[in-house]
Amino acid sequence: MKNWYLFLLSLVAAFVLFIVLSFFYNQNTAEELELTDPIQIVLKSIEGQPMDFWEVVEQGIDEAAKEFGVQVRISGPRFEKEINRQINIINAVIAERPPLIVLAANDYKRLVDSVEKADSLGIPVITMDSGVYSDIPVSFIATNNIDAGNKAGAEMRRLISLNNRKTIAIVSHIKGTATAIDREAGVREALDGEDVSGTWFCDVDPEKAYQITMELLNNEYLGGIVALNEVAALGVARAVDERKASENVFVVGFDNAVRELAYLEEGIIKATVVQRPYNMGYLSIKTAVEYLKGKKVKSFIDTGSILITKDNMFKREYQELLFPVSKE
Amino acid sequence: MKKTLRFGTLESRIYMIFTLMIFATVFVMQLVSFRFTMNTVRNSTLENNRILLEQLVKQVDSYISGMEQISLAVQNDIQLIEYLQNSSNSSSDEYSFIQQRLGNYIQARNDISDIIIVGHDGTVISGDPDTALNPWTNISDKEWYTDAINRSGQTVVSSSYVQNIVAGRYSWVVSLSREIFSTHNNESLGVLLVDLKFNQIKDLCQSLVVGRKGYNFIIDSEQNYIFHPSQQLIYSELRIEPIDSIYALLGENGEPFFHDEDKYFMIETSSLTGWHIISVTNDSDIVTDWQYVQVSYAILGLVLFLVVGFATNRISTGITKPVRKLQEVMKSVDTGEFKLVGSIKATDEIRELAREYDTMVGHIRNLMEVNIKEQELKRKSDLKALQAQINPHFLYNTLDSIIWMGEMGQNKEVVLMTSALSKLFRISISKGREFISISDEIAHVESYLTIQKMRYKDKFEYAINIDPGLYNCTILKITLQPLVENAIYHGIKEVDHKGVLHITGKEIDGNIELEVIDNGKGMTSKEIDNLNKSLNSSIDDSKLSRHGMGVHNVHERIQLYFGGDFGLSYYHAEGGGTRITVLIPSKEMDLL
Repeated sequence: MKNWYLFLLSLVAAFVLFIVLSFFYNQNTAEELELTDPIQIVLKSIEGQPMDFWEVVEQGIDEAAKEFGVQVRISGPRFEKEINRQINIINAVIAERPPLIVLAANDYKRLVDSVEKADSLGIPVITMDSGVYSDIPVSFIATNNIDAGNKAGAEMRRLISLNNRKTIAIVSHIKGTATAIDREAGVREALDGEDVSGTWFCDVDPEKAYQITMELLNNEYLGGIVALNEVAALGVARAVDERKASENVFVVGFDNAVRELAYLEEGIIKATVVQRPYNMGYLSIKTAVEYLKGKKVKSFIDTGSILITKDNMFKREYQELLFPVSKE
Repeated sequence: MKKTLRFGTLESRIYMIFTLMIFATVFVMQLVSFRFTMNTVRNSTLENNRILLEQLVKQVDSYISGMEQISLAVQNDIQLIEYLQNSSNSSSDEYSFIQQRLGNYIQARNDISDIIIVGHDGTVISGDPDTALNPWTNISDKEWYTDAINRSGQTVVSSSYVQNIVAGRYSWVVSLSREIFSTHNNESLGVLLVDLKFNQIKDLCQSLVVGRKGYNFIIDSEQNYIFHPSQQLIYSELRIEPIDSIYALLGENGEPFFHDEDKYFMIETSSLTGWHIISVTNDSDIVTDWQYVQVSYAILGLVLFLVVGFATNRISTGITKPVRKLQEVMKSVDTGEFKLVGSIKATDEIRELAREYDTMVGHIRNLMEVNIKEQELKRKSDLKALQAQINPHFLYNTLDSIIWMGEMGQNKEVVLMTSALSKLFRISISKGREFISISDEIAHVESYLTIQKMRYKDKFEYAINIDPGLYNCTILKITLQPLVENAIYHGIKEVDHKGVLHITGKEIDGNIELEVIDNGKGMTSKEIDNLNKSLNSSIDDSKLSRHGMGVHNVHERIQLYFGGDFGLSYYHAEGGGTRITVLIPSKEMDLL
């Protein structure tokens, strides 16, 4: 074409058309995060019995992954006490260079090295449920355990006022874990001024919790036990049930294992503080997606806790929380 | 042909306007058709969703009606009712019979979790033999129990809830309950409870979804959630469904449907349970090939644009090219040559224009030719008049000579001179003809020479040697006389020796060449060159002497009548003096 400038004009105009149309069409499609690799999630335990908690966390994770259109891969040790195994798993995960890691740390201090390593490679870390002793994680999504401990403590304070026996014992799950430290602090804060005889650790072993309680029940002034997690609560409740001591010793637990809820119905456990694992899983992925999209995220997100008693356990809004449907 | 971008030209104007118009057209067209495509795809997807949702409602209803059938079967099971009537004195045989019967119903269907009959006295008979009653449950507080009593005999379908009637088992169920009556006296026997495994409904809702992000949920008429895939998010308000919009739609006829941002909500209501089943479809799932559609539309637009752009270019050059050619031809007017456009490849309008232009140029050319001819004619007549004039000096000098000779009594000389003068005048006039025969011309110049020779007293001699064969040829009158006059006054008169004038004439190659040779003063070569040049240039007449003007006029007249090949030339004559040649075409007198 001899009129080269007109040809050029055509091309430019066509190009402009293309760009404008593309721009217009793009406005119709929602912004979605495109990741080549899945977000890696390292949980405290998977397929462990009877930890329904992590199963529900996974449901929340799956729901969020579906909603935000991202790929996730979940891994973790079989049992919560396998700290070294979790360190190995997270190190293997870091080697895969995922876009982001969500970690529920089994130990407050021993996983710091791995988190630092991830940070040095530019992999952002979000902690969930249990944090680590570091400023590196961009966000921490968990139950505010001090707050949860406060709720348990306040309920125990109310219960103990109805009881003649006034001594209160605390049965914790594991020494050094952030959840155990915070919950105990919350409980003790709420029970300030009451007779708290001490804290015993069951090392996430229901049998040990049972043994500890059997010992504690020998104290005739003992009027209340606060059990800081599911395993501890189950051990404590079994002992109280066997000794038929529920009239005198009031138990406040944590979490919502089916057996625990049966104890609640029976009246052996008077109240339990329940977390929201589904929301925890959901919010961890939502936060991860927001962070990867470049949005500002909160450094701590409280997923909340609820005090459940026999009176409100069958309320519509708590049924799904206490009895996850997928269990059947 | 190098061009620069100029917006003033017709071509670029046409092109710019077309481009802009096409740009706008393609853009709008693209927008409309893209929207249209998306809507079509969306509507057909939603149409399919509606069918899927209707299917879902049917299946949910079939579960419920299945439960209802069981409850009817139990009510109509006479044996069972009879046993129940007698159960006041409850023997373990009767109890186990009822249990077995109920157990059969459970085993017949795998979607039933439990069938239980609760007597008014608090007895509970479960179809499942391995279960023990949960001692901590207060049945008379349960909604399914109270509702069934209140509606005496009608079936009641509960919402989804956790059934805790069996010790140590917490199962999600939807239950159907009804009061059962004795066949004899219509006495109430208690409440029958049929529990449907909620998982059945849940799985159904989760399997019949559209796309990656689609889901279904069920709400009852009291705004309770029967099922939602992420109920916990709902209760903790991390996700909010537009329940109000849904309920607002329910009163309307047709197919309740609306969309909220990128989600499409479709509602069907089960007539059996009064539940509202809502199907949610995400826009990104409806048109999964967004990118593909977008890119193909954009490419289509681009191609369309280029094609139309090319066509526009062709059209605009098709219009402007002949116009430009026309313009170039018209420019030739500036240089004085009137070119014709001739045949041209263009539209009718341009061809018409070209033809009209050609006609106009033709007229102008004719006018110019006529003008030139008229100018020539005028010049000829001017020259003719000039030529015919006899120099007044010559006339009165001649008349003085005649008077002087008369006084002297030289009668013979007077007669000779007067007759020569008369002959001179007669031939000069020649009845106004322009052409005369060479013999007449010779007579004319001889008359002149006779007079001059008498006046100058034999100052010179002359000889005329013209081929007699040419005597009948034609010549412009008064051709030779000015040359002779010039030879006398500028040649012979200037020298002391006796002058000789020699006039010759012969035919050369069909032309006649006449020569006037004198032996006078002569000229330098430079003077001769200048004279020859001045002959062909129309220099201002006043610059020439009277004689010179006569010679010049002769030359001009010859050229006017015969063309540029003919005329006069000056040469050196042998032995000094000047030779003037006259070249004219040879024509017989009769041919004229």
